[in-house]
Amino acid sequence: MAEIEVRGLTKTFGAVTAVRDVSFTAPAGQVTGFLGPNGSGKTTTLRVALGLIRPTAGEALIGGVPYRRLAQPRRRVGALLEASGFHPGRRARDHLAVLAASCSIPGGRVDEVLDLVDLASSADRRVRGFSLGMRQRLGLAAALLGDPQVLLLDEPANGLDPAGIAWLRGLLRTLADEGRTVVVASHVLSEVAQTADHVVIVNAGELRFAGPLHELGGSAALESAFLRLTAVPG
Amino acid sequence: MLPQIRTEFRKLTTIRSPWLLLAAGPLIVVAGVTGLAVSGASVHDPAVQSRAMAHVGLAAVVTLIFGILAVGGEYRHGTITDTFLSFPGRRAVIAAKLAVYGLVGAAAGLVSSAAALIATAAWWAAKGGTFHLSASGTWLTLAGGVAANCAFAVIGVGLGALIRNVTGAVALALAWIALIEGIAGQLVGSGLARWLPFYASEALDRSSAPAATQLLPQWGGGLVLIGYAAVFAAAGVLVTLRRDVT
Repeated sequence: MAEIEVRGLTKTFGAVTAVRDVSFTAPAGQVTGFLGPNGSGKTTTLRVALGLIRPTAGEALIGGVPYRRLAQPRRRVGALLEASGFHPGRRARDHLAVLAASCSIPGGRVDEVLDLVDLASSADRRVRGFSLGMRQRLGLAAALLGDPQVLLLDEPANGLDPAGIAWLRGLLRTLADEGRTVVVASHVLSEVAQTADHVVIVNAGELRFAGPLHELGGSAALESAFLRLTAVPG
Repeated sequence: MLPQIRTEFRKLTTIRSPWLLLAAGPLIVVAGVTGLAVSGASVHDPAVQSRAMAHVGLAAVVTLIFGILAVGGEYRHGTITDTFLSFPGRRAVIAAKLAVYGLVGAAAGLVSSAAALIATAAWWAAKGGTFHLSASGTWLTLAGGVAANCAFAVIGVGLGALIRNVTGAVALALAWIALIEGIAGQLVGSGLARWLPFYASEALDRSSAPAATQLLPQWGGGLVLIGYAAVFAAAGVLVTLRRDVT
């Protein structure tokens, strides 16, 4: 099983504490919605889990191991962090080919994921000319390239049109039903309410809730629960 | 081939901008040789021929900027995240960039050398001079120029890792070449100035130097430049290992 475990995670940047003693588990075979207002520490937590940020205290484990110690990490974990991580002069297919070369994935897989995210017809265009939604799809293709058991996606619906959002919802469901661990960080509650089985809520760097969605009263009650849990005290 | 090295080559061959940049090297050399030939320098003087070859070393400013883009360009475009997701061992990533960019920098120096030979032979023939391919200075100057192109690419990789902001790193490098090192050289005197990186590279590529400055011997300039390359490379690795990628 490749669940994600965050234990006692704290990260300070200078005088600012971005994450304070956060612990939760994202189980395999489920979609975990990772919720919080802007600046609540979601992205910092994801970046620690991916070995990009060194925690001040605590740890994040993927299948029991820190990301930095995974062999062939891209084949174990797929990540979508931001829509801007592309060289504007590189063609979409080449962007994926570079990533495939970095983890010894056969080139045929590049065409598979391009088809999967519906970018095959734009594969030979330079990313410079891509819309936000197309960049987002290319980022998703990169995350899926290594056919990973774990997916960490930061605001994956960003820039997608309604049809794209519906497609993404189905994709996430399918991936979780295949037994994968899917974490979706978002502040768009309606999106997560329709997809997530499990919910983690953070506010101002602190954990407010971690557990199954039904414990919060199900999809319909998510918004009121979220607003209650993230309200500024006093 | 190591996957880190294979990936760096793949990155370079899938975009055009680094190659357009590197093409500036031979163009600078041809323009410099042409300037020398039309300015009335004697085409019968072997020292002038050597000065024509020394433009190869001056073109190392291009490989310096090329090197800065190796790491700085990845921070600029945000692709550094994907790079470190593929290779959490950052030391090997920077080491691969140092090797690949150093190699491409040396190759750029070879192309600039060919441009220098062709341009000089053509101008010397046009002016009725005799171009001595076998003159001892020719090959020493070209070898020094190729070495300088390689060393400055490596220094650039280290500098780009230290200063992630590409614009800032390029501006600092150009200001150093055009202004700061000259002023620093005057402040510390020629005895110490010859140990500064561009004075050392002038010794290595045997380009003309301010008359007041006593340069190191060519091999000494080469060793000093290797030292600078090693320091920048090590500093770039150390900073990259400690840095959070946000």
